[in-house]
Order: sequence, then structure tokens, then C-alpha cells
Amino acid sequence: MAAIETDYAVWLRGIEKRFPGVIACDGAELKVRRGTIHALLGENGAGKTTMANVLAGVYRPDAGEVWVNGKRQTFRSPADAIAAGVGMVYQEFRLVPSLTVAENIVLGAASPLLRVVEIEEKVAELSDTYGLAADPSRPVWQLSMGERQRVEILKALWRNASVLVMDEPTAVLTPAEAAELGLTLRAMAVDGRSVIYISHKLDQVVAFCDEATVLRRGKVTATFDDLIDVDLAELAEKMVGASEVGTIKRLKSIQPGHAVLHLNGISARNDRGLPALSDINITVHANEIVGIVGVSGNGQKELAEVIAGLRKPSEGRMILGDQDVSGASPADRYRMGLAYVPEDRLGVGLAPKMSVVDNAVVRSYRSHRRGIFLAASKCIVFCKGLIERFGVRVGRLSHPIAGLSGGNLQKLLLGRELAEQPIMLVAAQPSRGLDVQGVVAIQGHLADQRNNGVGVLLISEDLDELLALADRLLVMFGGRVVGEYGPDVTPRTILGAAMAGRPPQ
Amino acid sequence: MMRPVLVRRDRVLPATQALGFVVGIVGALVLGAILLLVSDNNPVEVYERMFDSALGGIDSLSRTLERATPLALTGLAVAVAGSMGLWNIGAEGQMMAGATLATGVAMMTDGLSGPLLIAVMLASGVVGGMVLMLGPALARSYLGVSEIITTLMLVYVSIRVVEWLEVGHWKDAGSLGFPRIEEVPAQAALPGLFGRVNIGALIALGLLVVFSLAVSRTAWGYELRLAGSSPNTARYAGVSLRRKILAALLLSGGIAGLAGAVQLTGTEVRLTPGLSNGFGFSGIIVAALALMRPSGVAVVAFVFGAVQVGGQSIQTLGVSSAISTILQAMILFSALAAVVFFNYRVRWAGAASEHSDV
Repeated sequence: MAAIETDYAVWLRGIEKRFPGVIACDGAELKVRRGTIHALLGENGAGKTTMANVLAGVYRPDAGEVWVNGKRQTFRSPADAIAAGVGMVYQEFRLVPSLTVAENIVLGAASPLLRVVEIEEKVAELSDTYGLAADPSRPVWQLSMGERQRVEILKALWRNASVLVMDEPTAVLTPAEAAELGLTLRAMAVDGRSVIYISHKLDQVVAFCDEATVLRRGKVTATFDDLIDVDLAELAEKMVGASEVGTIKRLKSIQPGHAVLHLNGISARNDRGLPALSDINITVHANEIVGIVGVSGNGQKELAEVIAGLRKPSEGRMILGDQDVSGASPADRYRMGLAYVPEDRLGVGLAPKMSVVDNAVVRSYRSHRRGIFLAASKCIVFCKGLIERFGVRVGRLSHPIAGLSGGNLQKLLLGRELAEQPIMLVAAQPSRGLDVQGVVAIQGHLADQRNNGVGVLLISEDLDELLALADRLLVMFGGRVVGEYGPDVTPRTILGAAMAGRPPQ
Repeated sequence: MMRPVLVRRDRVLPATQALGFVVGIVGALVLGAILLLVSDNNPVEVYERMFDSALGGIDSLSRTLERATPLALTGLAVAVAGSMGLWNIGAEGQMMAGATLATGVAMMTDGLSGPLLIAVMLASGVVGGMVLMLGPALARSYLGVSEIITTLMLVYVSIRVVEWLEVGHWKDAGSLGFPRIEEVPAQAALPGLFGRVNIGALIALGLLVVFSLAVSRTAWGYELRLAGSSPNTARYAGVSLRRKILAALLLSGGIAGLAGAVQLTGTEVRLTPGLSNGFGFSGIIVAALALMRPSGVAVVAFVFGAVQVGGQSIQTLGVSSAISTILQAMILFSALAAVVFFNYRVRWAGAASEHSDV
């Protein structure tokens, strides 16, 4: 038995991990050979991140064993895991923006006697070896997401990681950066290190990885020792089980009505004061879903905020229905028929620590008043109405809303926005991070709204979703709309080129 | 190997809160008993005296309520700001400002009848507290300056102002050279209820009820809680954060100022630099123990008052004042520690696992 164990860089054996109300891992196993890139696949909530956190020493499993490089390990903290050679790169980077690249890399892991110049030399050497271009003396806040990710990888390499865990590494990257990442990971594998690649982007997994483990509901549903001849559809099926995926039915086209939203020459700056939107002109009609396509970070977030009234544009006007609302507050815009589902559900859309009822009435509490009091009975009736109409599964209405699952949070949020018959809906990443049923339910509601005469602006990173739902596609790049396409007639390659800033003329 | 781990509770039940409070006090009494034994005192005798003098009879009860009144008001002041996630650390200073303005107004208005004079002085107390809070409130809402620092610094300013008035403009001509401010007119004394309790206790109770309802039941309170709990959501709902911050802080300052005026007209007879007597700072502990809920402030203030009265009384048994102060501090410290168990429970890890934020 000992001989077999030493063959693996990582062996997670019979991992069980429970959280209040959730079984994240239910006897899952992961075997990663040395010098390979191993994909850990599964939908959101399948247990991938939990497995990774067990390996990184963040969580302690309720049951099961962790073996790294042939040694049984009991990690008491992430520091133990790092010492055993496990490096983790999280989706949200953990860097100090005001420090330089080199300082971030050696933070907490350098001898105090080492001189800055020596550190920078060593970092440069490391970057060269693995093709991780990064200027050691630049402060991190100046770097793009792709560069920051390279710093994270360098951090792990500096600590001599023999196993690198990457959680959704391409979510923040442009296609070109993603391709570069693939080369870096390959260089590491050739060097004898192992990479665990967590993702649900199947095409990238097949392109980058050697082997794969598929998780569903905390259990392993399949393992692949060789991904060369594997069919994408087969991987997808193992991930989602019996339900269908990627086959949302294309909406029947209908005649769009009058214009409900008109943006005229909108420009705006981002939180750092840099130009984020320039000269945006968009019109959305009733009975129409306009899809905004683009790699995230090209102005989509700012666009949604400007429309909702949460960000002041530096230039331009906005017409909602037949009124100029350029100077109107978010609440006024809502009253005039603008519904908004923000990208950041728990933080902007909902108040996590407040109760389900309190969250349900965020938009409508002014109409549930009785004198100066907020009529609890009216609020509860309103909340129950939403829950029934939108099929939200909740526990006690007086409990904090943070206890709800992602899908139910989103249903409540969407329901609240749609409760008072809007004429226009802006939905930013409405199905992101939801399970299959949640995605289907949310997409169904979007389609219903469009069929019932509402104009919908759908901002999404999921091209399949946009291709299925949108009547028109607008591609955003660098804060501009760089192209308009019909979803039925446009090949993906053309959309992809436009998303990368090279729209075909 | 088993080891204790704190696990966040899914939600906090009133019963667990009450239990945590009781366990905290019992724990403190046990620790206190050890302290008393070591310092050659008889714990049973000491505890008996503490209980008797704080709760054992009408007269004792009135002493406790006399203490609890300013604590309830300053506790409420801190809790009103706290329900929006703001920290008014300077209730001590706002008390002084309230008492100062009330004294000044009493000096200027000659010959007002009792009830009218009292009403005017209490109102000036509110205004005085608000005036001192105006700077921190504006700085916080418009510039994002931490109210923790500004309110605290103004405590020392307001105490020094009273010291200056004592030797300067307001120096009592009949004080034979002592730096002393004139007593407030006799008709300004708050009417007594029983023992040492005056209507200040009723004012405090009334305000606790009003604010408890205002925060939990009104649309205004909903906006306040929303703004405190999730500022971005509040913005999205059309709540003006700026106005809510101003309102919460000014009300907080006004209530603390009222506490100063109540203390001046009810318990003290003249404005002194020691009038606030630590009540403002203790109010922070009261509000924290009440989890920033106005409804909890009444109970906590009463217990706090009883501990203070009982703690002081044992000095007549020959317990040194240092030991008495340590004992009071231990009781409060244990109660604060118990608050941790309102939000967390202990699980024995080994087979079990730690808290997660999933």
C-alpha cells in the first residue's frame, strides 16, 4: 500500500465535510499524479472548493485522510499546508495592493537579511523559468488581473510548492492571458510539479489538463486518467447528471415594441477615477432582451450602475419610458419602472444580516407604512406573495437572509424587483454561481418578462445564456460598444474576436 | 485530541442571551469569591451585603435606580448610534455639554416656575449634547472622518470648558474664593418619586420604549438598520446615508446631553467637572452588553447600577476600595465575555469541525 501512496503528489481519501445544513463533501477522493495537471470539475456547490480548502489546510475534514507526496498529513492551518508544499491561488487574489510584486511574493517567507535587490533578482529568475512575466519592482495595484495572478503563482513557487491549486483561474483573464496561463502550468508540470485546476469551463479543461476528477454533490462521479480522447459532452453529463445542460431553448422571436430605455452618449469613470465607459449609446425596446457580451472588466459593471442610478455618468443622458431620468435617484428610477438585479447580490442587492422579510421590502417598504410605523403584517403578506410567486424556498421569515442558498437568494431578489410591474429590467450576471435548477428558473423569469412586454438588458459572461435568450447582442470592449450582432446568425468566432477587441469590419 | 472551538450560532435566541448573562454573573461571583478569600474577606458576608444594599428593600432599590437612570440614558445614546453601526464614544462629553448649557440657561432665565424651568433645562441639555456632536456628525457624514476619534476627543474639551467656567465667568461670588459654580435654582430640582428616585427614571424608561419602537417598528428605524447593516443596499433602496448618519449621531448626542441635564437637576446641585462621573463611558459597556438594542439597555443598566451600589457598600465591611472596584470590574468583564456566547457556541473539536463561512 505504501508504494502506491508515494506515486501520488496528492491523495485525498474519503473526505467528508459538513457545514450547517450542507454536506459539501461526502466521501470524495482525489488522486493526483506527479507532474500532471489535474482538473477538478463540478458545478457550483459540487464540493470542488471545499476539497481544495481541505488540501490547503483551511478546513479540517470531518472524516478522511490527506496525503501529500506520500506522507499522511494533518494540517492545522494553511501554514502547515504551505510547509508541506501545497500552494493555493484563490479566485479572489490575496495581495497587498500598495506593496511591490517582489514584496508580495516574499511577504512572510523571506529571511530578514535578504536585500531588496537580491529578492528582485531571484523573483526575476523565477519568472523567467516559468514564463511568468512580472516586473518585481512594480506595485501590485498597477497590475492587471492576469499579472496579479502571475504574482500569486510566483508566491507559491517562492515557497517551493510542489502542488499548486488554482481555483477558477481563468475567470478573470482575457482569452490571450488564459492561453499563456496554460503554457505556464505545462512548464510547471514538466518540472515535476502537480497542478490541481478547478473549473467548470470544459473546453479549457480539455485543452490544459492531463487527467480529471468530476464531483457532483460532494461525491466523485467519474475520473479520467487521460483527457485526450474525452468528449466534452461526456464530461458535461458527468458534471450535471441526468439534467440537460447547455441546451437552453432559443426563445421564439417576437416583434419588439416601443423604446423603454435609451442611453445617449454615456461616459463614466470607475472607482479609481479612470475612464470606464465612453460614449455608450444603447436603446432597449419592450419585448426585447438585449445581451451585453464581453470579458468582465470592460465596463459592464459601471454600465449597470449608471443605469441604476448608483454611479453618476460624467457625460450623457438617459431616458426611461418617456422621461429624462439623468438626474434621478435610484429609488426614483425604480418608481418610474426600472428594476435592477445587481451583480453583487449579497452586498448591494440584499442585506445579508437582515431578515428575509426586511430584504423583501427593500424596494417597497414605503408603501407598507401605517403612519410612521412599518406595518409588519403588510410586509409579511408582501414577502409571502413573492415567495409563492417566484418559488423561493425559505426557512423562517425572521431569520437572516444569508442562510438561503444562492438560487433562492436570487429568486427573492429578482422577484422583489419584478413585484411592481417594471417596464425595464437590468440584470447583471443573474445566473452566475447558481445550480442548474436555479439557472433554469432565473432564465425562465427573464424570458417571461420579455414576453410580457418588459425590456431587458442582460449582462452576462455566459455566452450560451446570451445566445439562447438575447434578441440582440452588443459586444463591449474597453468601455465601448464595439459591435452589434444577431444571436441566430453570428458565429462564435466572430463574437470571440469582438470580445477581444478585434471586431471584424 | 479534543479541544474547544467556537462555532458561530445560526441565530441568537433571547433565551441563550439571558442564560449567557446569568452564567457570566455566576462566573464572576465565583472568581470574586476567590479574590475575597485571598484578601481575607468572607465572601458570603460580602455578597450578602452587596445584595442587601443594592436590591434588599425599597431604599436599596432606590439607590440602584438612581445609578441606573444615567446609565440607561447614556446606554441608549450609544445604542442609537450603534444600531447604525456607529460608535459614540463621547457620551461622557455630551453629558457635560448638556449640563453646561442647562446651567447657563438656568442662570439667564430668572424667576421661571419649577416645571417650566425644568422643561427648559432638560431641552437645553438635549441641545447641548447635539451641539457638541454636530462637528463629529458632519465630519463623519460628509468627509468620512471616524466618529470614534472625534467624539472621544471632545470629552476632554468639554470637561476642560467646565473647569474654565468654574474659575472664570461662572465662578460663584458667594463661594469664598473656591472655584465653584453656583447651585441651580431650588425649583429646578426634578420631582422625586420615592427614596432617591426622581422622574428622571421615568424619562429614561419612556425614551427607552420610544426608541426601542422607533428602531424596530418604524420605517425610519428600518432605514436606519438597513443603512447600518448594508450601506450599499440602503443606497439602492433610496435611503440617504448622509442624512441617516447625521440623524443617528445627533440623536445619540442629544440623549447623552439629556443625561447630563437629568443628572444636574435630579442628583447633583451644581455643575462640576466631575458631573459626568464616568456614566458616559459606562454607557458604552451598557450598550455593548445590550447588543446595541434599546430594549436591552433597561435591563443591563439596572444590573450595572446594582453592581455599582453593591460594590461600593461593601467598603463599610472593611473591604478595601481597590478590592471593591476589582470585584465590580470582574462582574462586568465576565458579563462581556458571556456576550461572546450569545453569538458563538462551544463545540469540542476532534471528530467535529470548525466554523466556516460557507
